[in-house]
Amino acid sequence: MDAGSCNGCEIEIASIFSPTYDAERFGIRLEASPRHCDGLLVTGPVTRNMAAPLRKTFDAVPQPRVVVAVGDCARDCGVFRGAYGVEGAVSDVVPVDLEIPGCPPDPAAIVRALRGLAGT
Amino acid sequence: MTAALLVATALMGLAGTAAGAIAPVRFRIALSSALTIAACALGFVVGAEVLHSGHAAVVHTTTLMPLASFSLALDRFGALFVVITAVVGICAMIFRFGYDGQGLASRTASSILPLFVTSLLLVPAASNVTTFLFLWELMAITSLLLVLTDHARRSEVQVAGQWYAVMTQLGAAALILGLVLLATRSGSQSFAVIAVRSAHLPAWVRSTAFVLAVVGFGSKAGAVPLHVWLPRAHPEAPGPVSALMSAAMVNLGVYGIVRVGMGLLSGGPAWWWLLVMGLGALSAMFGSLHSATSKDLKRLLAYSTTDNVGLMLLGVGASGLFADTGHRALALLALVAALLHVVFHAVFKGSLFLSASSVHQAAGSTDLDQLGGLLRRMPVSGPIFLVGGLAIAALPPFCGFVSEWLLLQSMLHGLPSGDVAIAVAMPIGVGVLALTGGLTAFTFTKAIGIGLLGLPRTQDAERAGEVGRPMWIGAGLLAVLCLVFGVAPFLVIPSVVDAAGAVPGLHLAGALTRGWNVALPGVPGMLAPGLVAIGLVGFGGLVALGRHLVQQRPVRLTEAWGCGRELQTARMEYTATSFGEPLTRVFEDVLSPARDVDVSHLAESRYYTEAAVIHTTIDDAFERRVYRPADRMLVRWGAVARRVPNGSVHRYLAFGLVALIVVLVVLA
Repeated sequence: MDAGSCNGCEIEIASIFSPTYDAERFGIRLEASPRHCDGLLVTGPVTRNMAAPLRKTFDAVPQPRVVVAVGDCARDCGVFRGAYGVEGAVSDVVPVDLEIPGCPPDPAAIVRALRGLAGT
Repeated sequence: MTAALLVATALMGLAGTAAGAIAPVRFRIALSSALTIAACALGFVVGAEVLHSGHAAVVHTTTLMPLASFSLALDRFGALFVVITAVVGICAMIFRFGYDGQGLASRTASSILPLFVTSLLLVPAASNVTTFLFLWELMAITSLLLVLTDHARRSEVQVAGQWYAVMTQLGAAALILGLVLLATRSGSQSFAVIAVRSAHLPAWVRSTAFVLAVVGFGSKAGAVPLHVWLPRAHPEAPGPVSALMSAAMVNLGVYGIVRVGMGLLSGGPAWWWLLVMGLGALSAMFGSLHSATSKDLKRLLAYSTTDNVGLMLLGVGASGLFADTGHRALALLALVAALLHVVFHAVFKGSLFLSASSVHQAAGSTDLDQLGGLLRRMPVSGPIFLVGGLAIAALPPFCGFVSEWLLLQSMLHGLPSGDVAIAVAMPIGVGVLALTGGLTAFTFTKAIGIGLLGLPRTQDAERAGEVGRPMWIGAGLLAVLCLVFGVAPFLVIPSVVDAAGAVPGLHLAGALTRGWNVALPGVPGMLAPGLVAIGLVGFGGLVALGRHLVQQRPVRLTEAWGCGRELQTARMEYTATSFGEPLTRVFEDVLSPARDVDVSHLAESRYYTEAAVIHTTIDDAFERRVYRPADRMLVRWGAVARRVPNGSVHRYLAFGLVALIVVLVVLA
């Protein structure tokens, strides 16, 4: 979920499903609805407008669930720290299970982290 | 004894009129309503006694009207309508105790309302032409005055009154012509004598009288294309009046067609009844289509009255057709179905109109797009409307289901008869019934879903609260009857069979009820409404039990997934217009909706829009294509005619001379 990102992380996330990294072979899939998900990938600093939708999305994911904060902004607001529209890092809004550093993180790093989470 | 009670009914009604006229303001409503309730109760007793015993209540006096006798003879057939009117009248009058229509509390309205109810009670008892026409006109004029109750406050009321006045008087003119034709040609104005002698009248007299009666009674019943007054007058009349008009008065149109066609004329050729069925089918489809696309609650109900009158006429027409082709049992079955629908329509439409008036009083509007969320705010009136809506949509275990089932059965069982007219008319009738059934379900899904559920769309709707006790008692009694008659139709069916059996030439080979069940005599077919109700309750119980068992495990309750959106406002809800839009589009050729888009631009640049407003209106096609051109033509002719008498004395002398010569030539 994009909670206020610059879309850099999204491009890297999209590319893990490309032929080069092909994350689907590890059973990792991108889903359209949180109702169908096991985990929530959150990117970007959480902006004021996106804080409530983030909570609602988190609530909509069935348990057990994991929350992965992707990128430096999601971890600690990155370069946007202290900006007026920023509510805080993802962990300030919902409990985070895993953080993937980088601005943006390398696709290989994302795949590695998700594989580690799933144990595949 | 019944005759004395019938007189007492009339006197009690007149006492109510007097009370409304002279009682002090404080007691006016209470006194006139109480006396009207007493009149209705007396009428109910007379009607029930006549229905039970079969002995007509006869009142005859020669002193009341000059040159003509005033004569009442209530037989079983008329008694059924008296009982219906009495029940609706009692409920509407109870409702009136809590109703806050300022207009209806006035001296005029308070004195006319009892007179209206009395004339409704007496019309089915009239047994000669003069009495009938007198009471009929009394009913028409009192109802017109009641429609005009709020004329000073809203201009729509005046327009509605004009439409109603013209249509009802045109109908009355047709009626006078038809009945007078019958009376003069058969040499007596007594209904009993006409019924005996009419068989020997020439065919053109009988047919002319019947067609004129269909026009006259059809305009009162609101049959298409004579219905145009109905969707205007019913919404503008005060609540109890609209309930009485829709649940009691339109019935008398059906009464009249049966009384003249089957009673006075003892049936007729197939084309009479095909005409009635045609009118019925047209009314049913047109009415249900318009009620499905109306966004005003009372207008919707008024069109649905046209729809239901169509179904009644369908049954009456089928009955006449069966009788003409010698299928006596089926003829009675179809008539019973039609009359049963009259009874049940009165019950559910009465409760719907009364609870719609409660909604109007509580939320200040009957426009569905201004309502919403009322079921929670009106914990009694809301469910009453719900029950009425389920009954009218012919869903078990409510009463509409039984009468429509019977109507369907009577038409389906005519199919193997081999007669060409029947073979053509009945499948069409069945199709119409099926189509209107679906459209009615759609209509009331809309009325309940948009008006009662969801979020309130205006502050008035948000502040709405439950109405006073008399109002929901009045509407609630009828809603309870919807359920009682739906579960136990055997309470009312034998009386309806008796009433239909009073029409000459119709008799049933065996009872229509077997214990709790409805069984068709002579043809296979049976309905067990009691078992249906038990089945539904049992199914509901199973669902509840299943949910209870499921909820033993911990269940996480969250809101529905809406892509994380934050708001849910009334502006995001379906409106009545948008709900009906697909249907409007499908039936665009019939409804021909007008769409008007107003875009206003910013002063700085016309490339930017300041506001966009879309208006959609659905006019009545008959009003636009037939009545408005006729109206314009009349106005034009009137303007031409005004030039003829120009004030010149010479010209007037010439007119006199020409007239004299014409008269002399004609006489010579």
